[in-house]
Amino acid sequence: MIRIAAVGDVHLDQDVLGRFRPALEELPDCADVLLLAGDLTRHGTESEARCVAQEFGDLGVPVVTVLGNHDHQCDQVPRVVKVLEDAGITVLEGTGIVLEFPAGRLGVAGVKGFGGGFAGRCASDFGEPEMKAFVRTTNESADALGEALRGLDCDLLVALTHYSPVPDTLAGEPLEIYPFLGSYQLGQAIDSAPTALALHGHAHAGTERGTTPGGVRVRNVAHPVIKQAYSIFHLGDHLVG
Amino acid sequence: MTEHHGGGAGPPDEYVEAEIHRLLAEDPAVAEQGITVVRRERGLVLYGEVESPHRREEILRRVAERFPDVPITSDIGVIRAQAPTQVEELP
Repeated sequence: MIRIAAVGDVHLDQDVLGRFRPALEELPDCADVLLLAGDLTRHGTESEARCVAQEFGDLGVPVVTVLGNHDHQCDQVPRVVKVLEDAGITVLEGTGIVLEFPAGRLGVAGVKGFGGGFAGRCASDFGEPEMKAFVRTTNESADALGEALRGLDCDLLVALTHYSPVPDTLAGEPLEIYPFLGSYQLGQAIDSAPTALALHGHAHAGTERGTTPGGVRVRNVAHPVIKQAYSIFHLGDHLVG
Repeated sequence: MTEHHGGGAGPPDEYVEAEIHRLLAEDPAVAEQGITVVRRERGLVLYGEVESPHRREEILRRVAERFPDVPITSDIGVIRAQAPTQVEELP
C-alpha cells in the first residue's frame, strides 16, 4: 500500500505562515508523499513562493506539486519554480516523476491544465484568434499530461492537475463557470493511461469525489473543499509492503 | 464572524454585484476567486472561506471602501487547517 497526502489552493503568504505546519509535521507518520494541486500562492510572487518553501519544505516526505492560475498572476513562474525546487519540492508541468517506496514505485504525472468545459458544453477551436488560442492551450496541456502519464514506468499511477478533469467534482459551483474550472480533455488524457487516481484543486465550492468516463477516481483536494490541512488516500492494496 | 456594513441605500443591482465579484478577484489586496456575492432585499451577502482572518477583514474593508452606500453582510469563514483524523481507502 502507498499512502498519499494531498491538498491544493493553500494560497500562502506571510499571513498564513505556520497554520499548516503543525499538521504537516505529522506527515512522516501517516503518508509516503505529499502532492500539492496548485495555487500555492496568492499572486505568484517570489516572496510568496518563499512562504510556500518555508511551510512545505523539509517535511520528511517527498513533496510534488503543479502550479495553479494564482501562481501565474505576476508572471514570475520561473522564479517561483526555482524557489520551490531549491526547497526540494518537485514542480511538474507536462512532466512526471517516479518515487520508490517499500510497497512499490509511485508515478506522478502533472500539469496545471486549463479551462474549456466539458463534453457537449465546451469551447471549440474555431473563430477568433483569442478563442482558438484558449482552446489550443487546453489541448496542449491535456496532450502533455497524457504523454507524461503514458511515459511513466511504475506500479501505481497518479495524475495531478490544478484544473478539474471532470464536472463531478465541481458540483456546488455555478454551472455557468464550469468552462473556467476545467476541461474534459484532461479527463481524456487521464483515461489514456492506467491511472489509479486523479487529484485536482481550483474549484473552492466543488465537492470531493468523482470519476472520469473511464472510471478513474477523481478527488478535488482544494483546501476549502477538504477543510483540513490535507487528505490522505491509501492505494495499491495489491502491492507488497 | 458576521459583520454588517453600510445602510440607507436601496438594494444593489446586478452591476454592483458584478463589480464586487470582479473586485474580489482583481484587487491585488484581495485576489479571492472563491467568494460568492448574493443579492438580498436588504443588501449584499458575501459567502465563502479564506485562509486568514486578515484576508476576511481586508475583503470587507475594500468592498465597503468602494461601495460605501451598499449594505454588506459578511459571512466569510477561515478554513480549518488541522491534521485529518481519517483516511480514504481506495482499493
